[in-house]
Amino acid sequence: MVSNPTSAGSATKPRSGERPWRLPGGAAAAALVLAVGAASAQEPKLLPNERAFAFSARGIDDRTVEARFAIADGYYLYREKLRFSAEPGPLGAAILPPGKVKEDQFFGKVETYRNQLIVKLPLEAASPGRPVTVLAESQGCADLGVCYPPQIQKVTLTLPAEGGRPGAPVEASPKKTWFP
Amino acid sequence: MTWRRGYGLAFALAAAIAIAAGVLWRQLVTDALPESPPRDGGTLLALALPDPSGTEQPLGQWKGKVLIVNFWATWCEPCKEEMPRFMKLQNDYGSKGLQFVGIAIDQPDKVRSYAKELGLNYPTLVGGYGAIELSRTLGNQLGALPFTVVLDRAGGVIHTQLGPLKDAQLQAIIKQLV
Repeated sequence: MVSNPTSAGSATKPRSGERPWRLPGGAAAAALVLAVGAASAQEPKLLPNERAFAFSARGIDDRTVEARFAIADGYYLYREKLRFSAEPGPLGAAILPPGKVKEDQFFGKVETYRNQLIVKLPLEAASPGRPVTVLAESQGCADLGVCYPPQIQKVTLTLPAEGGRPGAPVEASPKKTWFP
Repeated sequence: MTWRRGYGLAFALAAAIAIAAGVLWRQLVTDALPESPPRDGGTLLALALPDPSGTEQPLGQWKGKVLIVNFWATWCEPCKEEMPRFMKLQNDYGSKGLQFVGIAIDQPDKVRSYAKELGLNYPTLVGGYGAIELSRTLGNQLGALPFTVVLDRAGGVIHTQLGPLKDAQLQAIIKQLV
């Protein structure tokens, strides 16, 4: 097995941190903090796809869904790869904010989103009070140097009646939970 | 003295919080950590995938070589960045029995045109999401790209890597095996 303490994720385990017990008081505590930091810096810190790009949606009026991606720090989504649909549909054209443009030698100009992406989705044949399922396909990458395959996330929500108050956001249920 | 104790306590508290945060953070990312790969690359070598023109290519045809299988895609920028380095290594060590093989999680036409544009000097096959599932069994639990598996001449898994391989690291692995 070849040892490998660098980059996003390798199969070899990192060595443990410094040994702080010979240092007094505050210095020991500081060393511990550093050791914990150093140990975790060597390990892969990659989130699963659905947590790196957490999808949620809510009905903001009787014919509009507001979809939201909470994009984890150090991750980005490609605008070109976003696809939305609704059941029952059809869905009008998604209203996307401008992303950050960067030049890709293969794809040409590509737009990416970081932190948060809010998209307005017009439901052409909306029926307030009845459940509608919104599906979002997305594809993104992490700055650590990995890309995730396209994923489809979905939420089921109910649009408010005409003149009603916006609904609460519904989160796409991740495949695994943090706290079982 | 009490202020010193106060500081000591504050440090201890800070350390405890940092450790707790570290432990919690690890728990959060635990299912993201790759497990040790299986020592045997048999499942990979038993695989046959189409090349971009549609011809089935069994990976077993490269058994006996130092085989570096790289899962990639044209939609994966970090994958594309490391491929020219793979090409150089293929060029330098190919005569010594090193063989790179790509597995693209992509559409055949995109793979074909990108391989042509790059002047790719090693074969790349085309796999669907089934290939990602296969990579999960080799330690790529996130199913992310690039993911690279190094097999020795006997077909044993020597190294797996999620994310780009550093040039020096890859050279060291190769020199040890060829």
